Amino acid sequence: MFKRILVANRGEIALRVIRTARERGIETVAVFSEVDRCALHTRLAEVAVPLGGRLPSESYLDVDKILAAAKETGAEAIHPGYGFLAENAEFARRVAAAGLAWIGPPPEAIEQMGDKIVSRQIMKAAGVPMVPGMTEPAATPEEALKAAKEIGYPVMLKAAAGGGGKGIRIVQTPEELPSAFKTASGEALAGFADGRMYVERYLVGTRHIEIQVMFDQHGNGVHYGERECSMQRRQQKLVEECPSPVIDAEMRAAMGAAAIRAGAAVNYEGAGTVEFLWSNGEFFFLEMNTRLQVEHPVTEMVTGIDLVWEQLRVAAGQELGYGQDAVQMHGHSIEARLNAEDPQNGFLPSVGTISNLRIPGGPWVRFDSGLYRNMEVGLDYDPMLAKLVVWAPDRKGAINRMRRALEELNIGGIKTSATAAMRVMHDEGFQTGNFHTQSLEAMDMSEPASEIDHAVAAAVAVHRWHAARRQALSTRAGERLGWLARARVSQTTYPHHAGDDAGFAREEAGA
Amino acid sequence: MKYFVNVAGRDLEVEVVDRAGKLQVSVGGEPVSCDYAEVDRAGQVALLFEGGCYAVSIAGSQNDYDVTVAGHRYAVVIEDEREQAAHAAERAKHKGGGIVKAVMPGVIVELSVGEGDVVIEGQPLLILEAMKMQNEIGAPGEGRVKRLFVSPGEAVAAGAKLVELEALPE
Repeated sequence: MFKRILVANRGEIALRVIRTARERGIETVAVFSEVDRCALHTRLAEVAVPLGGRLPSESYLDVDKILAAAKETGAEAIHPGYGFLAENAEFARRVAAAGLAWIGPPPEAIEQMGDKIVSRQIMKAAGVPMVPGMTEPAATPEEALKAAKEIGYPVMLKAAAGGGGKGIRIVQTPEELPSAFKTASGEALAGFADGRMYVERYLVGTRHIEIQVMFDQHGNGVHYGERECSMQRRQQKLVEECPSPVIDAEMRAAMGAAAIRAGAAVNYEGAGTVEFLWSNGEFFFLEMNTRLQVEHPVTEMVTGIDLVWEQLRVAAGQELGYGQDAVQMHGHSIEARLNAEDPQNGFLPSVGTISNLRIPGGPWVRFDSGLYRNMEVGLDYDPMLAKLVVWAPDRKGAINRMRRALEELNIGGIKTSATAAMRVMHDEGFQTGNFHTQSLEAMDMSEPASEIDHAVAAAVAVHRWHAARRQALSTRAGERLGWLARARVSQTTYPHHAGDDAGFAREEAGA
Repeated sequence: MKYFVNVAGRDLEVEVVDRAGKLQVSVGGEPVSCDYAEVDRAGQVALLFEGGCYAVSIAGSQNDYDVTVAGHRYAVVIEDEREQAAHAAERAKHKGGGIVKAVMPGVIVELSVGEGDVVIEGQPLLILEAMKMQNEIGAPGEGRVKRLFVSPGEAVAAGAKLVELEALPE
């Protein structure tokens, strides 16, 4: 086993890796950008190396700096987390060329699965079920229109080299297609330097269900069951759970076997996730994510397996040492992602300084986060700040526990998706397990009339009364805050109508 | 002091009176039991109200607050008597028009309207690329495009003016 590893990431996932490493007596090397000088991962690793720079391209995406940091600190392996360089095959090659172990899949597997076209061809050959769609990407709206006619509406436009929900559009009618193609292709061109789009059937009422797999370097592979990720908005997941309320043992075995076939077809090693669209008892390959995923904790809670430890073991060349029968699922786990965004205002990004932090605790509550008081939440990095995870013997108990934990949670200074997660917990469709990938977008995120509005009104009135009094007595009365850029953001207001998610995110309504 | 408070769309009148150092609170004209204690200066409040206790977080200033209680977040608008009168006059002046501003810094990708165009509520005005996503910015209400402050390719800061709408003649 490695003695020292470098974690090429930041935030909660860097901490996640550091935690397992520390438990196992492995030293960790953190890397950090200028703005992350005081970040938790910079404080909790054994060694922390500055990368400089504020932008990701100057720090967490700078391969040369990261490899130099590994060399300088004597790290034997690199864990990329998710995002940044995690699915960068070139980086994986450079790591290996530098004589270090890469805690991830082989670069060839990253490349094959990272290309939507190539992966579909390989999956088709491996006998993994596919959604009807193009086998070649379209470069122009005309080509896309022609393909969409054959495939049948609604269709989904998807960047040939995409990911993370960028460059994706859903098109209901031929009339909408040209403008959707233009914006999505523009995004893809800007983000991935490839504007080609892939057209496929958009299945209505589908669920997003994924299988966690793990392969060692000796040809052994297992799956750890499914994760239900249908509670998502614009392809960004919000609430995930394990197991899925619609998957029984038989379906799990079938999907698991398909996921293992998918991994084996690209000679996979390490942790990966095979995403499927599930519709009325049928499932279709969506894509394979060649990394550890954000929502991996729900699998850990239900299987009792530390996925990061398994990653480290197989990267060090160990055999898995157990078969599929050894993987048992027990109870139910739910995760809520806490993003810096405002659900009540069209999920617009929210920025600010964390002024207050009350972290939920108590039985079977797990909080994976890089949050700390006085942390600056800006626009430079991923808005996913924390994950609240609960476990209970059954699904109903897990929902109740998540609700309780969300009631305890308080993140002051920014707006977060916690209120949206709370809305999901109260949603009848979610409670009965009857939901799909469009359910969250259809949900009303405005706060309903409250029984405690008198208490709220009184609290704010007294708060303001005290503030006015303090200000009147203060020698600093008249102090100006408005010149700060951040104050300007927080104080800027926009024309807003009741029941209207004003501002951005008008795309669906306007398209 | 009398306050006009709107909690998640519901209007309430709250009066706060200092009686010999003790605050007397009334909601809707009815005196209520309300004991307010600030945990810190970061907006944490331990509230005892009419037989219940609440861990309240208050963020914001002046007229706009966000109040989080037990996992729910309420948008609260509060005005005292003087402000209420002033704001009502202001609103009457700008009826149907207004300036659409950039919520986040970004780059203007495309303008979907020209000056003089009549737009309906929700109609795309322009596409703004922010956080690597292209976002259509819609009209907040119907009106005529009076002025465009930006052009394609231009980078804008948060709060920058994008489009000015004017009210349509009655």
